[in-house]
Amino acid sequence: MSKVDTSKQKAFLIDMTKCTGCRGCQVACKQWNQLEAEKTEFFSGEGYQNPPAMSEYTFTRIKFRDYQKNGQNEFAFYKEMCMHCEDPACASVCPVGAFEKTAEGPVVYKADRCIGCRFCMIACPFGVPKYEWSKGLPLVKKCTGCYERVVEGLQPACATACPTAITYGNRDEMIKIAEERLAKHPDKYIHKVYGKEEAGGTSVIYLTSLPFDELGFKPVTLRPLPGYTWQALRMVPAAFLTVGGGLSALSWITHRKDRLKKEREEEAATAGEPKEDK
Amino acid sequence: MTAASLVVNEIKGYHRFIKFLILLVAVAAVASMARFVFGLGPTTNLNDTYPWGLWISFDVVTAVPLAAGAFTLGAIVHCFHIKKLEPLVRPAIVTGFLGYSLVCIGLLLDLGQPHKGWHVMRYWNLHSPMFEVSMCVMAYTTVLLLEFLSPVTEKFGWYLPMRVLRWLEMPLVILAAAISTLHQSSLGTFFLIAVDKLHNLWYNPLLPLLFWVSAICSGMCIIIVEATACHKWMGQPNEGVLLRTLAKTLPWTLALYIALRVYSLLVLSNGPFFDQPVLTLLFGLELGFGFILPFFMFTQQSVRNDDRRRVIAALLVVFGLILNRFNVSMFGMMDPNQIYYPSLIESLVTIGIIAAHILFFVLIAKYFPIFEHHPETVDYSLPDRFRKIDGGKGSEETVPVVGQPVAETND
Repeated sequence: MSKVDTSKQKAFLIDMTKCTGCRGCQVACKQWNQLEAEKTEFFSGEGYQNPPAMSEYTFTRIKFRDYQKNGQNEFAFYKEMCMHCEDPACASVCPVGAFEKTAEGPVVYKADRCIGCRFCMIACPFGVPKYEWSKGLPLVKKCTGCYERVVEGLQPACATACPTAITYGNRDEMIKIAEERLAKHPDKYIHKVYGKEEAGGTSVIYLTSLPFDELGFKPVTLRPLPGYTWQALRMVPAAFLTVGGGLSALSWITHRKDRLKKEREEEAATAGEPKEDK
Repeated sequence: MTAASLVVNEIKGYHRFIKFLILLVAVAAVASMARFVFGLGPTTNLNDTYPWGLWISFDVVTAVPLAAGAFTLGAIVHCFHIKKLEPLVRPAIVTGFLGYSLVCIGLLLDLGQPHKGWHVMRYWNLHSPMFEVSMCVMAYTTVLLLEFLSPVTEKFGWYLPMRVLRWLEMPLVILAAAISTLHQSSLGTFFLIAVDKLHNLWYNPLLPLLFWVSAICSGMCIIIVEATACHKWMGQPNEGVLLRTLAKTLPWTLALYIALRVYSLLVLSNGPFFDQPVLTLLFGLELGFGFILPFFMFTQQSVRNDDRRRVIAALLVVFGLILNRFNVSMFGMMDPNQIYYPSLIESLVTIGIIAAHILFFVLIAKYFPIFEHHPETVDYSLPDRFRKIDGGKGSEETVPVVGQPVAETND
């Protein structure tokens, strides 16, 4: 997809070690996006988190993981949301271009274009786009990165609500801060800035103290995903011309051969006729 | 008698099986209405984990290669100029046209916003395999419609359109092959984006090429199955001699497919391959019974020349193709903790689509001259002596060269 100027791009730096699990972000997200509440039950999913998964009504959510440290029960958290990839898979597979990576950072969804094919849901390596399964003519729903707020100079709702863990700002700066923290407290963090390179780089960057896969981070390729399909799709014009041209040439040859054969036969027939007359 | 009672009487005269098919199609029509009234969620087993189910896996990803016979045979007959296979072309085109029309219907049912389907033509996204496939399917359905109109114009004796269509025959055949190459392969491109989701047994960068080659194999096998079925149940002449010729090409295409498949597995894919027993079994069934076994069968002359064994081998390839498409689009991406299976309504709709295909094929064959296209008996000079040769004429045009069209005014 068309690369945008990355200097202006904003990103979330989410330091999971500073997250207290208050879920103010979840509430702020529902409020700003005016999302309906979900009827949930305790322990309907894995662990303490609620609702059990992101859905058409829940764009972000805190996942809980309990573990033991020095014989004490501890909680680790992970904030699930759209990663706002630099080169998003959803935008590349959408037949009508309903997703767009904006210059400000958020990947936005244009509902008026969407035809509802759900290819974005297959393509997203993070499983972010969700569908309005309850509706007769459903659309896709996902975190907007609070684009309307960001263009007005505000911070996203969840970042505003978060008392401890979320920093929002220019992506380059966020990566710099993340790396500084890693250098300052090498014992506190897993030495990795998740999102710096994942799926070709994302606008949501994480630091954690527990291994990423244990927290439920998906192992994703470091290569931007659109490249995987483009390496085949870019050959489409060549394939069309090769097959079309090849078969045209072949038909011309076979038909000419046929015509010449017929002419020879006719010649032989007309050449034979006068002899018979004599 | 009114027109309606004529139609009713006509339907009353149909075979029980045809009436049964009509019932299945009607049930599917009601089921698809339910999808719009109650929504996709309540009527299907689709959810955020399985956004694509039976309708995409069968009605689109599998039905498209099963309808590949039309372009394959068109190219064989008209471009490679193996004219004696021409009697098989029209039934193949009808199958293709029906197949693609039903793909369009299946796709519209599956779309969340079917009324906005035309947006594909308005907002182009050249990077999307779905855009590529939608455009190609629309273009190719149009091409197939034009090819299918030939017997229709003959039936009603519309000479001018017939002449135009015959003049267009070669360009259409070439266009059909080129467009088909694009979208058959692009269906494979769909799943290239599913990195880390599709199992290693199926995920490899050659997926588009593999989809194209296997579509060619299955297209030819469907023609064998269809011609054999038409002979058995529809009282059509036995085309065994022609199918024998067609079957001769199959060992080559199947060998190419198997070779590409082995190459992609050994060289282009990374393990682990055999970590999930169910997937290993499905892989073995697909490649072993669906491609390798019929390959060995088709190499045997005794199989190619025997109507029964030939159709069994062809059916194996069809089985292999269907299983392959399901493995790629469904089984290979399944989460073992949360299995997807189609709901009743999903199943009824897909059964109805298959029934509609057979039903419309039989009805079209009943009312239009699709089996009568034997080049020996067709006069291509238009419009004065249409279709029937004046037996006593004896001009050089009517001297039939066996396996050759009488005269080609159209090229």
